[in-house]
Amino acid sequence: MKKIILIATACILINSSFAQKIYFTRSGTISFKAGTALEDIDAVNKSATCVFDAASGNIQFLILVKGFEFKSALLMEHFNENYMESNKYPKAVFTGKITNLDKINFQKDGTYQATVKGTMDIHGVKKEMEAIGTIKVSGENVLINADFAVAMADYNIEIPSVVKDKIAKTAKITVNCNNTIKK
Amino acid sequence: MKNWKKVLLALIVLGAAAAGYGYYMYNKKPADIRTVAANFEISAAALVADYTKDETAANLKYLDKVIDVKGKVAEVKIDSTTGQATVILDSGDPMAAVTCSFYNDEAASIKMLAPGTEVVIKGKCTGKLMDVVLNKCSIAK
Repeated sequence: MKKIILIATACILINSSFAQKIYFTRSGTISFKAGTALEDIDAVNKSATCVFDAASGNIQFLILVKGFEFKSALLMEHFNENYMESNKYPKAVFTGKITNLDKINFQKDGTYQATVKGTMDIHGVKKEMEAIGTIKVSGENVLINADFAVAMADYNIEIPSVVKDKIAKTAKITVNCNNTIKK
Repeated sequence: MKNWKKVLLALIVLGAAAAGYGYYMYNKKPADIRTVAANFEISAAALVADYTKDETAANLKYLDKVIDVKGKVAEVKIDSTTGQATVILDSGDPMAAVTCSFYNDEAASIKMLAPGTEVVIKGKCTGKLMDVVLNKCSIAK
């Protein structure tokens, strides 16, 4: 009986050491640029949560809209009250999957191209989207970088005609999340 | 001076004042939270408990407010690429802690913080994801 338990325990231990893990960060950086030639508009959110499962490729990014930091108090106020209505929709979430998971080896240091596909939920509107980025593995750290565009109109974000020349119709989003294994 | 000239002068002065005010408001930076008095002084445990009990009510109470939150340091993170400094405070709830994102120039003040130390952190509440998140943080004096 003891032998069986010993062997079983050994099997479980070996299995878990090879099992793929959950990677996670609470201090990811997500920034956006929505300016034009007339005006610089950019903001950064330094408390993005990113979590992904290396075994299934399921990945999720979550941010609190109120966490975006601006240089101008007025811009921040308009962003929250008029455009994003952050009291009504406090979070923006992307839930998706790494579609080329088989090309990424989380056990081997290196930089891999990654394609992610899923649902973006902003301002109460859910929309399917796809983006490419890079996944850089260094030991237990996985750095995810991505740049993609989001069209305001797709998420019912209305730009008043008064400022339409100052605000871009498409925002450029930059993601920089340094994930570590969730213990 | 003729009357209409006086009126014109007054209008010009008013116009200039309005433009000046507009320019000032337009360029005004968000408040430095380090200089703002806290709306609430609360423990990390109590803050998380309020959010876990009723997130909508907690948001009504705490969102955008300046909070001096007291708790034990669970983790100090300085991002290797951005220098971004974050302190995680223990709330007693294993599922949700308090995440404090610091001003870039406050990073030095938290480098020496050992896990288990009791601190009071001033920051602005931005809501709850997995944790209750405060940004524009600094060690409360």
